[in-house]
Amino acid sequence: MKKANRVLTILMFVFLYIPMAVLIVASFNTGKDITRFEGFTLQQYAELFRDQDLLRLLGNSVLIALLSTGISVAFGTLAAVGIHSLKPKMRKVVMSLTNIPMTNPDIVTGVSLSLLFVFVGTGLLNQRESLNFGTLLLAHVTFGLPYVILNVMPKLQQMNPALTDAAMDLGCTPVKAFFKVIIHEVMPGVVSGGIMAFTMSLDDFVISYFVTGSDFVTLPVEIYTYTKKPIHPKVYAMFTLLFGLIFVLMLTMNLLQLRGDRKKVNKRPASRGWKIARRCIAGVAAVCLVVGCCFLFMSGRQERITLNVYNWGMNMADGTDGTMDLVAEFEKRYPHIDVRMSEYESNEVLYTKLSSGGITVDVIIPSDYMIDRMIAEDMLLELDFQNIPNFSYVDEQFKNPDYDPENKYSVPYTWGTVGILYNTKYVDEADVTGWELMWNEKYAGKILMIDNSRDAFGIAQYLLGYDVNTTDKAQLQACADKLAQQRPLVQQYVMDQIYATMENEEAYIAAYYAGDCMLMMEENEDLAFYLPEHQGFNLFTDAMCIPKCAKEKEAAELFINFMCDPEISGANMDYICYASPISAAKEHMEDYLAESEIVYPEEAVLEKGSAYAYLSEEISRYVEGLYQGATKINNVSTDDEPSGSPVALIVVAALLAAGGGAWVLFGRKKRKS
Amino acid sequence: MGKNKSVLLSVPYILWMVAFTLIPLCVVGYYALTDPDTGAFTLDNIRDLGMYLPVLGQSVMYSLISAALCLLLGYPVAYYIAHRTPVMQKILYMLVMLPMCMSFLLRTLAWVGLLQDTGIINNFLEWIGIGRIQLIRTPGAVVLGMVYNYLPYMILPLYATLVKIDNRLIEAAEDLGCNSLQTFGKVVLPLSVPGIFSGITMVFVPAVSTFYISQKLGGTDTVLIGDLIERLFKQGDNPNLGAVLSLVLMALVLICTGIMNRLGGDEEGGVIL
Repeated sequence: MKKANRVLTILMFVFLYIPMAVLIVASFNTGKDITRFEGFTLQQYAELFRDQDLLRLLGNSVLIALLSTGISVAFGTLAAVGIHSLKPKMRKVVMSLTNIPMTNPDIVTGVSLSLLFVFVGTGLLNQRESLNFGTLLLAHVTFGLPYVILNVMPKLQQMNPALTDAAMDLGCTPVKAFFKVIIHEVMPGVVSGGIMAFTMSLDDFVISYFVTGSDFVTLPVEIYTYTKKPIHPKVYAMFTLLFGLIFVLMLTMNLLQLRGDRKKVNKRPASRGWKIARRCIAGVAAVCLVVGCCFLFMSGRQERITLNVYNWGMNMADGTDGTMDLVAEFEKRYPHIDVRMSEYESNEVLYTKLSSGGITVDVIIPSDYMIDRMIAEDMLLELDFQNIPNFSYVDEQFKNPDYDPENKYSVPYTWGTVGILYNTKYVDEADVTGWELMWNEKYAGKILMIDNSRDAFGIAQYLLGYDVNTTDKAQLQACADKLAQQRPLVQQYVMDQIYATMENEEAYIAAYYAGDCMLMMEENEDLAFYLPEHQGFNLFTDAMCIPKCAKEKEAAELFINFMCDPEISGANMDYICYASPISAAKEHMEDYLAESEIVYPEEAVLEKGSAYAYLSEEISRYVEGLYQGATKINNVSTDDEPSGSPVALIVVAALLAAGGGAWVLFGRKKRKS
Repeated sequence: MGKNKSVLLSVPYILWMVAFTLIPLCVVGYYALTDPDTGAFTLDNIRDLGMYLPVLGQSVMYSLISAALCLLLGYPVAYYIAHRTPVMQKILYMLVMLPMCMSFLLRTLAWVGLLQDTGIINNFLEWIGIGRIQLIRTPGAVVLGMVYNYLPYMILPLYATLVKIDNRLIEAAEDLGCNSLQTFGKVVLPLSVPGIFSGITMVFVPAVSTFYISQKLGGTDTVLIGDLIERLFKQGDNPNLGAVLSLVLMALVLICTGIMNRLGGDEEGGVIL
């Protein structure tokens, strides 16, 4: 029995630590792929320390954790004293209030806070940026407070109430008594509560993910974005360093505590908690100080303009693989502007983020139909073309496009096609006959479908021979059915995750944007691109716009102008492999790209393509609903919509009632104890 | 006098908690009952919920299985740790805590590298001649991800109750003729019930609401309610339906914690940590 337990314990630790070992090993890997160790290097660590952004994000996380812990500890300790002197009945009520953030799933807390902030900020106060540093801090304090309260309360209950009276009898004012006696007594609780609040805040992803705006992002939230695209090994290097740091920190704290325990045996027991506490505080404070200094050091340049650019993932040259680092180049030309890039996955994500009104961004790069929608919904600012003289380089055919007929709101950035990327090693050329390849059962489990409603519906529409801009609900429903039929064959619905999956041959077939496909073909020679000309395909334009929420319009226009410089546009295309709407840029592009049939298809081919148009808000939402139904839950049927309704109502009512009942029981149970 | 004044200290806190926990839930309720386009009162969002019920059932099932597996795996480990020397206990406790302090996103991503068709485990199986098997994008992978991420949440409260059990009780049982199995069944297990139930709650709640684990390790059939909520808020542009799902999730969790608290005595899971 004992032996079995030991074996099981060892196995459990192996289980817990293997994934971390994988990450640590990956941080010393010369290759990018986590599954293949190609050689030992410390390169990733050097890269890590060169990466200002990553260090800034880490600094952000530490800053928010320090601030929120500080506030929670001070506020929480005072509150605990207050709660302690409440009448028992009232105290129970307050304690169950305290329990709400503890028992609620993080996602519900995050959702509810973000709805509150947006509701109050945008709806009532008419703020431009309702999700910001302040709201993030509020959220972190809110979930940190209960940890402090729940740790301090027991200490207060253990405390002898005569102590405060004695102090006051000896001439202390109540305030003095509080600092001399109460604080001293509850200190261990304050410290352990504080440590918990700190680690929770530092690690928090889910709640932050919902309440983060654009101006202040913490590390875990950004890591989530990283995990959606090919992840750079320097992230593993950071993981390894943090692992080392936390390990050492925990070990020292434990050792100190052990030493404290040993000394305790011979010394006065009264000061035990206090001593440990003091040591812990000293340790935590020292670490905080060091990290805080780093942070201050890094964020020393606050007076410059920050330009927030919100772009697709991997959609701007960043200096890797010998390309030009456009952000660095822009900052060199305009030293007073700091560019901060953040990324979205699809037009729909961008739209949701902007329309929920939480954020400020200065430049966005949506696609045609989305620009149309944003213009219709009055979400864009008119551009001042005096500030964008390079607009003259843009080819005539891209001026005054259908989505922006008077060309007031947008400057084209790239254009391209949506086609099929497949691996010639596994896919039989005879099967490559059209969009039906995406439905071929032979490749079940190896197909990646594009994860946004418009492109997914577009593919189904081309396959079924419908107009891509149809508003006929029967046709849309047929498309949804087609997509639902495809679901069992699909490995994953992906956007930027497509890179890793196609390159390492985890999947064989995917529908995606031509430029990205080119990039993947460079990494894996077996990949090929196919455009189903006979059925039709999407021809899209992505264009730069300034949303209504922008703060730095002039800097944004400078940026747009900069991107239209043929030399810059050409350098950019070298990285992203899309076609530039500026013909002059071709001269600055690598020849193989400028001559590529995939990047620049022939006129005759282009004529078969079609652009998406914006339909209407109602249809957009209808399509989105169908898409969720078809791809997330297998909902093929068309006629059971009304029949499902009473059942749902009853189930919800029952659930809510049961939840309420549980709440009451939960409360009553507490009162008894 | 002092006592009355210090009562006032709790007032800002109460206001804070009402403002940032109760009122947000009311806002969620408001969104749940309004139309996304017009903002008018409607029950449509709740009606639409019908088609999402299977997802809800699936989430509950996976998280219950995970909680059960965590208990099965965690109990012997917690028991083992609780019976080491104090120094060993501290070290082992720390080793259980440590993974919880590291980014769970990256740790879950490491599992993708391990489990995928071209991943480390499959490469190894191929190399020794067994051949590749489908590991990732199965319900099993999702459950594995949950167990991996939340196992410490089970071990820690279990350890906390097990370590508190007076050794003399066990000795007494043995003196009175119990064999080790009987001692366990009659003394240790009943005394550790609070730890068991708080452990189950602490695993179930995050597991039932996760979205990252199923996104990374699951396939197209293992969508969980957390996924749907995330999608509806972040890209589906339908916060109203998302609000309904959030409320349902919350009710589910309340039921679970309510039951667990009733069965397990009034032990505050969070405090044990």
